[in-house]
Amino acid sequence: MKTISAVFAYTFKEHIRHKAWLSSALFGLVLLAGALVVSALGQDERPRLMLDLGLAAIEAISLVSIVFLTVNLILAEIESRAIFLILTHPVRRADYLFGRFLGTVAAVALGMAAMALMHALLMSLYGPLETGRYLAALGCMLGKTAVMGALSLLLSLALTSEAAAMSFAVFFWVLGHFSSEMRFLADRSGSAFLKTAIVAFSHASPDFAHFNYRDFWHHAAPGAEWLLWAAAYALAYAGACLALSVQLFEQKEF
Amino acid sequence: MKARWLAISAVLFVLALFAGSNMRRLYDPRFPHFSELKPGPFAFTDATLTAAGFRAPAADLAWIQLLQYTAGSVPELQDRPGHPYEHLAPMSLRVSRLDPSFHRALLFGAGILAWFRGIERPEEAVEILNEGMRRSPEQPLYGLYIAAIAYKQQGDRTRMIELLESSFDLPDTPTTMKAILANLRQSHGEYREALSLWERIRANPRDSAEHGRAKAKIVELRALIAGAPPAKR
Repeated sequence: MKTISAVFAYTFKEHIRHKAWLSSALFGLVLLAGALVVSALGQDERPRLMLDLGLAAIEAISLVSIVFLTVNLILAEIESRAIFLILTHPVRRADYLFGRFLGTVAAVALGMAAMALMHALLMSLYGPLETGRYLAALGCMLGKTAVMGALSLLLSLALTSEAAAMSFAVFFWVLGHFSSEMRFLADRSGSAFLKTAIVAFSHASPDFAHFNYRDFWHHAAPGAEWLLWAAAYALAYAGACLALSVQLFEQKEF
Repeated sequence: MKARWLAISAVLFVLALFAGSNMRRLYDPRFPHFSELKPGPFAFTDATLTAAGFRAPAADLAWIQLLQYTAGSVPELQDRPGHPYEHLAPMSLRVSRLDPSFHRALLFGAGILAWFRGIERPEEAVEILNEGMRRSPEQPLYGLYIAAIAYKQQGDRTRMIELLESSFDLPDTPTTMKAILANLRQSHGEYREALSLWERIRANPRDSAEHGRAKAKIVELRALIAGAPPAKR
């Protein structure tokens, strides 16, 4: 645990001091300001537009940050050979990977929190914000970010190419939002084999369609029990990807 | 123990499947399927944003384009001469198909199609309201507007206005519809009623898009009530 927290602290500081993190957080704030301008075109629906576009901007920036950071997390250290130095110390590979992953997610979460704070302040110009629902939407976005982070890490270790890992990460992101569509297609399919294959594939890919709380904000709100299951899903899915990453990382020979 | 992490991963994945099935059982977001998005000049944008998981922002952008179209400034959609607002119904439906909770888009489109002077295509208005009612049966304004259109077609103007006025302060009532209602009152010489409606529009911060017009209308109607000719604007 001590090793994990030491690696976590070092990774967190490393990201916060990195120019890429700072520029993405600044770009997020610019996007929020952009949402303020664009929402003015929405006339009487301005608060709705401000809410949707702001949350979408936060999520888009978080996605880009987490994919970029986690794909480079281990690969960059392998390339620069810094990993040899670390692994010569009494550090378990699993602890090292967990610390690195958690530090990265924490850095991205900090960026999200900064953007959300600014967004919430802007939203307060248009009336009281439903804090509970806003936090639930942010929680779901963080869940998606954590799952994407774990998936990107796994892909980077499995494919050992940054470009390929990033491309596959984007592919899984899109596929994750198609999970409902895939099940719909499976229902329509006449072939039992095809149906089973599509359903299996839809379950293997992350289910982001049911995680888009910000997209169904204006619909009837899901209950607290749903949120608990969504949190369990994100933790379990990210955990499964991380465990696979550890398996791959432990088998690697440096 | 070489495959220890593989086994942990399998257990966690099964847990994720269990949690996912419970998540889906407890709440299933009602969005129209991808195949229901219609082709058109904005199909690529809609498909890209939907695929990337940004359905609500896609509907918001479609709403802005709908407003721009009604203001006459969407180069991709030019009306043929003699066919005003011919793309209004598809544009309104586009917003609703991206996000069915965007009731205002359908109500806005239906309001213009059914009650705008020189347009008067109530059949099209009923068509889009029916789609709205099918997707969101809990929204009372769709049924109310259909009933108001039916009164209009029967020539029962009084009941039509009474019905529309009953929805005046509901949060989903579009500002344009409120303005149409006030103008309907004024066109029949009911200046006091029209004045009261414009004052309510002016007092509502959500109707800020019509505040400028409301201010001018209030001056005009007060002058009409006082018996003086309306001030030139």
